[in-house]
Amino acid sequence: MTGSSGGARRVPVAALSRVVAVLAVVGGVALLPWLSGRDAAYTVLRARYADREATPEALAAVRVELGLDAGPLAVAGDWLGGLLVGDLGESWISGRPVAGGLLAALGVSLTLTLAALAVAAVLLAASVAPVLRAGLRGRPQAGTGALGAALVALPEFVLATLLLLVGAVWLGWFPPYGWAGAANLPLPALALGLPAGGLLGRLLGTAVAAAAAEPWVRTWLLAGHGRVATGLAVLRRAVPSVAGQAALVVVGVTGGAVAVEEVFAIPGLGRLTLGAAAAQDLPVLQAGLLALLGLAVLLGGAVAALRWLLLGGAREPELPPPPPEPRSRRRDLAVVLGAGGLLAVTVVAGLVRDPTGSSHPRLAPPSWALPLGADASGRDLLARVGHGAVTTLGTALAVLAVCTVVGLLLGCLPRACAGPVEVANALPPVVVGLLVVALSGPSVLAAAVAVGLVSWSPLAAHTAALVEEARRAPHVEVLPLLGVGRARLLWAHVLPAVAGPVVRHAALRLPGVALALASLGFLGLGAAPPTPEWGLLLAEGSAYVERAPWTVLAPASALVLAAVVAVAGASLRRGPRRTVPGRPARGVAGVGAPAAG
Amino acid sequence: MKKPALTLAAVLALPALTTGCFSGGAGGADGADGSGDQRLRLAMLQPPRSGLSPLSDDAFKLSRWSTAETLVELDDAGDPRPGLATSWEQTAPREWRLELREDVVFHDGTPMDADAVAGALQAAVDASPVPRILDGFSLDVATDGDDAVVLTTGEVDPLLPARLSSPQLAVLAPAAYDGDGPVDPVGTGTGPFELVASDGTAGATLDRFDDYWGEPAAAAGIDVSYVPDGTARGAALRTGEADVVEAVPVSQQAGIDPDLLHEVAMPRTNTLYLNTDRGPFADPAVRAAAREALDPARIVADVYEGSADEATGLLGPALPWAAPLREGGSWAATVGGRVEPATPAEVDGAPITLGTFTDRAELPEVAVLLEQQLEDAGFEVTQDVREYQFIESDAIDGAFDAFLLSRATVLDSGDPVAYLASDFGCEGSFNLSQLCDPAVDAAVEEAARTPAGDERRAAIIAAEAELLATDAAIPLLHERVSQGEAAGVRGALRDPRERELVDSGTRVER
Repeated sequence: MTGSSGGARRVPVAALSRVVAVLAVVGGVALLPWLSGRDAAYTVLRARYADREATPEALAAVRVELGLDAGPLAVAGDWLGGLLVGDLGESWISGRPVAGGLLAALGVSLTLTLAALAVAAVLLAASVAPVLRAGLRGRPQAGTGALGAALVALPEFVLATLLLLVGAVWLGWFPPYGWAGAANLPLPALALGLPAGGLLGRLLGTAVAAAAAEPWVRTWLLAGHGRVATGLAVLRRAVPSVAGQAALVVVGVTGGAVAVEEVFAIPGLGRLTLGAAAAQDLPVLQAGLLALLGLAVLLGGAVAALRWLLLGGAREPELPPPPPEPRSRRRDLAVVLGAGGLLAVTVVAGLVRDPTGSSHPRLAPPSWALPLGADASGRDLLARVGHGAVTTLGTALAVLAVCTVVGLLLGCLPRACAGPVEVANALPPVVVGLLVVALSGPSVLAAAVAVGLVSWSPLAAHTAALVEEARRAPHVEVLPLLGVGRARLLWAHVLPAVAGPVVRHAALRLPGVALALASLGFLGLGAAPPTPEWGLLLAEGSAYVERAPWTVLAPASALVLAAVVAVAGASLRRGPRRTVPGRPARGVAGVGAPAAG
Repeated sequence: MKKPALTLAAVLALPALTTGCFSGGAGGADGADGSGDQRLRLAMLQPPRSGLSPLSDDAFKLSRWSTAETLVELDDAGDPRPGLATSWEQTAPREWRLELREDVVFHDGTPMDADAVAGALQAAVDASPVPRILDGFSLDVATDGDDAVVLTTGEVDPLLPARLSSPQLAVLAPAAYDGDGPVDPVGTGTGPFELVASDGTAGATLDRFDDYWGEPAAAAGIDVSYVPDGTARGAALRTGEADVVEAVPVSQQAGIDPDLLHEVAMPRTNTLYLNTDRGPFADPAVRAAAREALDPARIVADVYEGSADEATGLLGPALPWAAPLREGGSWAATVGGRVEPATPAEVDGAPITLGTFTDRAELPEVAVLLEQQLEDAGFEVTQDVREYQFIESDAIDGAFDAFLLSRATVLDSGDPVAYLASDFGCEGSFNLSQLCDPAVDAAVEEAARTPAGDERRAAIIAAEAELLATDAAIPLLHERVSQGEAAGVRGALRDPRERELVDSGTRVER
């Protein structure tokens, strides 16, 4: 199935894999009522009458009413049959048709997403323009590495609460919530667009700086091509190399919208789906998941189309890869030592303290005895941040370790895993989190599984690209002729060349994965209190951000420090890279995933 | 990507693209009906869960907006008073006859007659599942002429008039029950405000109903938004975005003018249920030790910042008759019969599991303090905190040694006997303490038999004393909720039962 087979067989395998992947997702969604293994009648009853006793008669009545007594296959069959003719069924809770409410919510979400992307585009332009200008002047400078990483390490839900306080309460410029008119748009659009724009700006800035340092740029300028024409050419050179990463960021906006819609009371798709997941209103959850998935696919497709346009229809970028970004390794070392040291000291100091005892005054401000202050329950925040590092970073590391292994294995079967990779890329972690929690209930493990289910795909895609590259190296191409078997070829000659870059790529994703776990914790889809987990700490603190900023500052700084260490550290370990002329280097190390998704 | 012209075009095109994508829930302009009266803007806590069907908890929203009305209402003491029915009498032990109010017109213009009322009640009886208030309760509905209905209960029920006050038994126009779909409250109520539009989980719009049978509404209408985020609700009050705000969380109160906040005592009790069946708490002396160890005052001060009342019994200040009845001496004598607490040395590191849930944000914070206090008394505490739907069945099965619950003590009828029976009776369906105590059972049965009124209240307090004497449940505190009202609001209702909020007398001056 891999490598040497003829081109004729390639297309069916990849196409088949795509069909299977999509069918698996739709089928999984269709079987939700059965897969969840819990009695949906119970949660439906609870959603209608909060304090009603769940008597067997009441549960039986609900089951008959919902048609659950017909068995899982009949229920799934009915749903799929309805889906084909555009009938999404009726809500189990309200009894109203799902389709109407879904369309309205979709319109709201689409508007919000486009506004967020507009914000992101402005930020992108603002952050790339100086890099481009400096590059054309012949003094290429790297993007704002550590600073950028710090900015985008803030999750949307913290940003949303801050913007609400600043924009609505302190300045009084915007209404604090609702969706009645254009005045409601800026705050949530900023909350979603700022992290996305920051991330895109960093990606493109790095690529632009690298492209501007290439020799042809000076040649063009000396030949009198003009700064505008040369600048556009540099952009065109840089954009395709980050388009794959950019698609992930854009898709991530859909996921981030779930938390932001909750804060600003926006009747969008995310809030609809989250509410349906909480109430086990499975018809609405099924439709919402499909719509979120569709929206993500649409956005991913738009980015792919943009890339296709820029490359003039070429299937793959045939341009040489950008050389390594020019940056000071001494500065990176200082950043890693500084930020890493600070984080390590915090964690070690926190680990020896008690994270659960409430022996301090409520919301005690930072002091010598209590360096990071106390939370609303009078617990030591230093201890909670320290122990939280084990929960959050430990889980993130475990998820990444598994994802790296899976990515390396599946990446060796590029065409067979094309479908799953594309589907996983199109799914924000929050959406998968909703699905996993509907099946298993919220827990750290569920959150880890949800994030893991989507985090392997960029690594697999990267592996696939590198495997292809390694196979085409002359000394490897000759091996089959020398009688080296395919397994041995992969194991002894290809994998060693591939593993290093993929592991470094995984390290870069650490902050993104940690952020995704924290977001799930904030939405109540992850760790349960009183576990010290960074997302939970942020969620607990965000209500107090105005009165006691340290409750948010402590866990947020820890997340930022972890992001800075991972990003600077990964570039530090990158040796002088040999570039292979004429070979594409796809999906090379982007920065943290569209994480907060 | 970085093409300024493109970006600009995208930004400019956005408003055109998005017109029509907003909810437009802001409703009519002030004084649109020419009266010059202001509309009231309301920020509510929860979005509707069931499309505003009265046969669900959404019924409380319809009654808070004064759009749907019931045959009977409750006065402050919890005794029935006329609503859409002007009078009622018990014509036989199981039979009640209710005279209906004349001149009542539904919002769709049809008059309210006995057929319409009987149809509305029959819809509730036939609902699947039946509303909470009719759980395990059979009811036959018949008309008696045009202006009266006769209700026959399966068993003798001294509480029937109070039951009829449940918002889930509101009377809507026949059109609301048409077809197989859900009950539709838009334009089908009888109250001073007509629900003219419901916009899913975003909001709802109500206009003054000019043909209302009572005093016409002072406000021109109500614009409702659902705002689940506490910070956003606090901001609504601070920015003047809303006139009346439900449930301003404790965390937001520091930044708000105290004059705008009004505390309402809730008929909810945070109670620690102790497992009397197995584990360390099967020993009454160990239960007493836990009771002695707890310090509700610190919990009230720390978690609730003073916005709660320390509990003396199970029933709190939301039931104002409860406290005076405890002063008779017999209550103290019964409660005083509790066993002596075990000493910390006797407790000696007894391992206990403490369960609670995250749906009410304060409970995990309370659990943190409980753990601290119990460990100081020698217990070894392990917490298990989950979402309510994932923990309820375990709690009912007695999987925890101690379970912290915020429990509603009166639900729809305004009477706490059903709560006492389900939580502490041998056969109770919500018996978290796994309690089976003959004295408690006898006292609860006695209260259930007594007709509504002072005697019944005395019997309820006697049952409470019997239960407290067992230490099976330790009441910690009674919650209060803070209702926000902007400076110009007059006549908003502060109802502990969360049935009323805006009525015909509520108005706002801006």
